[in-house]
Amino acid sequence: MTEKHGSARYFVLAIMLSLAMTGLAVRLVFLHLGAGEQSRSMSSKTRTYKETLAVPRGRILDGGPSANILAANVGAKDVWADPSVLIASNKVGVVASQVAAVLGLNPTETATLMNQERRRFVYLARYVPDEQADAVARLKLPGIHLSDTTTRSYPQGEMLCHILGFVNHDGVGSWGIEQCMDKYLKGTPGLLESQLDGRRREMLDRRIQEIQPRDGADVVLTIDQNLQYMLEKSIDAAMEKHRAKAASAIIQRVRTGEILAMVNRPGFNPNDFRSATDEQKLNRAIGYVYEPGSTFKVAVIAAALNEGIVTPTTMFNTENGRWLYQKKVLRDYHPYSQLNVADIIKKSSNIGAAKIAIMLGDERLDRYLRGFNIGSRLGIDLPGEEGGILAPASKWSSISSSRIAIGQGVAVTPLQMLGIMCGIANDGIMMRPYVIKEVVSPNGTVLVRHEPQALGRCIRSDTAAVMREILAHVTEPGGTGTKAAVEGFKVAGKTGTAQKPVKGHYSETDYMASFVGFMPADDPEFGMIVVMDEPQPLHTGGIVSAPVFGEVAEQAARYLGLLPPGPAIEDRSAIASQARVTP
Amino acid sequence: MREFLSNLRLLRRMNWLMLATICTLIAVGVLFIYSATQTRDDSTARLFQMQLKWALAGLVIYLATTVTDYRKLRDVSWWFYVMAVILLVAVLFFGTRIYGARRWLMFLGVGVQPSELGKLAVILAGATLLSPPAEKYERIPSMWWLFLLAGIPMLLVMKEPDLGSALVYAPLVMAMLYVAGAPSRPLVLMVLSGVVLVTVVLGAVALPARLGVTPEGQDRFFRAIRLSDYQRDRIEVFLQPGKDPMGTGWNKRQSEIAVGSGGLTGKGFLKGTQNLLGFLPRTVAPTDFIFSVIAEETGFAGSVMVLVLYGLLLACGLYAAMVARDKLGRVLCVGIVTMIFTHVFVNMAMTIGLVPIVGIPLPLVSYGGTFMVMTLFALGLIQSVYVRRSGL
Repeated sequence: MTEKHGSARYFVLAIMLSLAMTGLAVRLVFLHLGAGEQSRSMSSKTRTYKETLAVPRGRILDGGPSANILAANVGAKDVWADPSVLIASNKVGVVASQVAAVLGLNPTETATLMNQERRRFVYLARYVPDEQADAVARLKLPGIHLSDTTTRSYPQGEMLCHILGFVNHDGVGSWGIEQCMDKYLKGTPGLLESQLDGRRREMLDRRIQEIQPRDGADVVLTIDQNLQYMLEKSIDAAMEKHRAKAASAIIQRVRTGEILAMVNRPGFNPNDFRSATDEQKLNRAIGYVYEPGSTFKVAVIAAALNEGIVTPTTMFNTENGRWLYQKKVLRDYHPYSQLNVADIIKKSSNIGAAKIAIMLGDERLDRYLRGFNIGSRLGIDLPGEEGGILAPASKWSSISSSRIAIGQGVAVTPLQMLGIMCGIANDGIMMRPYVIKEVVSPNGTVLVRHEPQALGRCIRSDTAAVMREILAHVTEPGGTGTKAAVEGFKVAGKTGTAQKPVKGHYSETDYMASFVGFMPADDPEFGMIVVMDEPQPLHTGGIVSAPVFGEVAEQAARYLGLLPPGPAIEDRSAIASQARVTP
Repeated sequence: MREFLSNLRLLRRMNWLMLATICTLIAVGVLFIYSATQTRDDSTARLFQMQLKWALAGLVIYLATTVTDYRKLRDVSWWFYVMAVILLVAVLFFGTRIYGARRWLMFLGVGVQPSELGKLAVILAGATLLSPPAEKYERIPSMWWLFLLAGIPMLLVMKEPDLGSALVYAPLVMAMLYVAGAPSRPLVLMVLSGVVLVTVVLGAVALPARLGVTPEGQDRFFRAIRLSDYQRDRIEVFLQPGKDPMGTGWNKRQSEIAVGSGGLTGKGFLKGTQNLLGFLPRTVAPTDFIFSVIAEETGFAGSVMVLVLYGLLLACGLYAAMVARDKLGRVLCVGIVTMIFTHVFVNMAMTIGLVPIVGIPLPLVSYGGTFMVMTLFALGLIQSVYVRRSGL
C-alpha cells in the first residue's frame, strides 16, 4: 500500500460524508419549506381544544294573564348502542330483539343498526320518554347505553301548532315561532376554546375564547290561550258540521294589531312533527291565498265613499239580478231592482259593487286596494306569510274592476282580508299584525318588545265611521250575516261566498265561505275572520262562517270584559258585574 | 519542561477555524439547552449551566490534548482500551438502571457513560493496531484483529442494552480499515452484508404478512436476533409514519412537526411552542432531540447553519488526516471524524424522520457531560495531529 493510494481513499471518504450531509440538508429543505404548512396546521390542531356547553332552549308563553306555557323542554334519553361490543360478545340478535320490544322498534332494523362492525356508536332511538328508557336500563344489556337529552314538548298538543312550529332533531327551530325566534330561544351555548400542553392540560394564559353559556330566552306571544281555545273549538265544530276541507280563523285586536288567536285546519301535533304533511303544516291564515269573494266589496265601497263619489244613500240600479257589461253577464244571488250603497253591502249585491268599482276607475281602485295592503305582505312576525295577488291596474282588462269589486281576480290571505276590516274599524289606520309580544331573558331582562306599529292610512276616519255603520247593518235582520250577531252588541261584518277557481273557470260546487267583522261596531275592540274551505253542501258565508263568528265573538266579548252599550252610564257597572258572574 | 514549552508553542499552529467551529457549536448547544428547559422549575432547569461547566472542562482537556504528542498514544491506548472494557463490564453489574437499561456508572456523584469511552478506546487501539512502528511499516495486521478489538465493547454495549451506540462502531471500524489501506473487496462485502441484514430486519418488521410469516414466526425471529419490543415499535413507526401518533409514534411525529413548523426563519429563540408546551418530550428535548428545538426556533436558516458547522468541523478533521505526518495520525483522525459524523448524521436523521429513533446524542450540542468531554478530547487529538503535520 502506498501513500498515494491512501490519499485517494480520503477523497472517497470525504465524498461519502458530503453526500450524507447533503442528504440531511435536502430533507431539511423539505421539512422546513415544503411540508411546513402542513406541519404548522398539524401542530396547532393537536394543541387546540374546544368544549361546548349545551343550554336549555327558551320557552314560548302565551300573552294571557296566567302566562301559559305553550312550548317547554322536558328531559328524555337517547338510546344508543356500541356495535363493536355487541358483535364481539356475539349478542346482536338477542339484544336487538329485547331492545326493540321495549322501544317498539322493528327488531330486524335494530339488529341491522347494531351489526356495523366498524362503528362504536349508533343511535337506536332518540328522545325516548323516561319510562321507556328506565325499562331499557333495567334490561342491563351489554353495549346498550342511555344518554341524557332534552326534547321539546308542546303541552297543548295540536293547539297553536302553526304558530309555535317545532324544533327538529338537531335542535334547530324549523317552523313558526321556533324558527323565526330561534336565535333568542336557543340561547348561547358556552364555548371554551383553548390550547393544551403536551400532557393535555389546559393552558390558562393561552385561552383563545371563552363564551359564558346563556340560557335561551322566553318568547311571550300576544296569543291568548283561552281565546285560542274558544276559536279552535268552534272551528272544529263547524268543520265537522259543514264537512269543510280546511279552515282558518284569526282574532286581531283592532287598535294594536296584536293577534289574539289564530287557527288553521288541518293541523298537526308538533310533538310528532315528523308525521306531519306539508298540507298540515301550512299556516293558511297567513300563507294561503284565496279569492275573497263578497267580503272584498267592503274595500271597494270604502274607497268610493272616501273619494266622495257616492254616499250611503246613493241609489244604484241593480238590474234585477242580471247585468250584461262588456259582453259578460254578472248576476246577483238575490235579485233587486234598486239598492242604495248601504244596502249593496247589506244584501251583498254584485251588480251594485261592480258599478261602484267602474265609477271609481281602475287607477283609483288599484291605489286604494294597495292602501289596504293587498298584493304585499303585512309583515307579521311569523315565517311563511304570503302577500296575495293583485295585478297592477295597467294590466287589467275592461271587466277587471267589476270582478275585483266582488272579490274575483284578486287573491288575499285571511290575514289581509282581516287587515282591511281592522283598518276600517281602526278609524282608517292600518296596523301591522304581530304575534310576538316580547322576548324575556332568563334573568328577566326584556330583550325585545314589540309595540303597535301603524302601516299607513287606508281611508279617512269619517269614512271609516260611515263604513262601520254600514257594516253593522249586515248582521241586522235582513242582512246576510245575521248569524254573526251578538246579543246586546252591535257587530259589524261582511259575508263572503266565493266560488273556487278550478282549472280556469269557477267551480259550481266548491266554495270558500267566509265572514269577517269586528265588534263592538262603534268602538271596535277586536276583529275576526273565519274562512271555511269547501263546506258541503251548505256553502254560504252567512250560514257556515257567520255562526262561528257570532259564537266566538260572544264568548270573547265576555272574556275581554266588553260592555254592551247601555242606556245609562250608571247601569254599566251593574251590567258588567252581572256579566262576570254569568258563566 | 523544555519539551512542554515547545509543545505550547505548537498551539500557535493549530487550526483556529476548527476551534472556532467547536466553540460556536458549544454555544449553540448551551443556548438551546436553556431554551429546552426554560419552562421547568426543577433542578434540570440549570442544565445549561452544567453543560457550560462540562464544556469548559472539555476545552481545557482539548488544549491539553493538543499540546500532547499523539504518538505517545502507542504506549497508553491499550491501557485505555482495557480500562474501557472493564468499565463496560462493570456497568452491566453496577450501572444505574434508567428506563430499563444500565448505561451509567456513578463515580463520586458524577455519572459516566462507559459506552462513550468505549468508542474512543476502539479508535485509539485501532489506530495503534493499524499503524505499527516504522520498522515493520509495510506489514498490515489482519483486519480480523480490528473486528475483534471493536467487537468486544460493541457486544458489551449491546448488552446494556444500547443498540444505537453499539451500531456506531461499525462505520468507524470500516472507515479506519479503509484509509489504513485494507483490501477493498472484503470491505465492500462487509458493507453489503450489513445492508442486507438491515433490510431483512426492516422487512421482517414491516412485511410479515406479505412474506407469508405468521405473527408467532415473527416473534421467534425477533427473539432470535434479540430485537426488543420497543426497538420493533420504533422501526414500525419509522416505516409507517402514520402509525400510532399518540403512542410510540409520538416522539418522531412531534419532532417532525417541530422541525417543519420552524419554517424558513423559525419561531424565535425561546418561542418554540412544540418545545415550550412539552409536545417534544421534556426528558429528551435537551439531549437527543436538541436539534428539533434548534430547528423549530431558528427554522431552516438555523438548522442548515448547524449542519454547515458540522460540515466545517468534519472537513477540518479530514484535512488534518490528509496532512498528518504518519499513518497513526491519519487513521486516528479518520476514526474520530467518522465517529462524530455518525453521531451527527444519525441524530439529525432521526429527528427529521430519516432513520428510526435511536438514542444517539448530537456531539458538542446535546446535553451530556461524558460525551462532551470525550468529544473534546477526541477533537483535541485531531488538533494534536494537525499541529504536528508534515511539510512544515
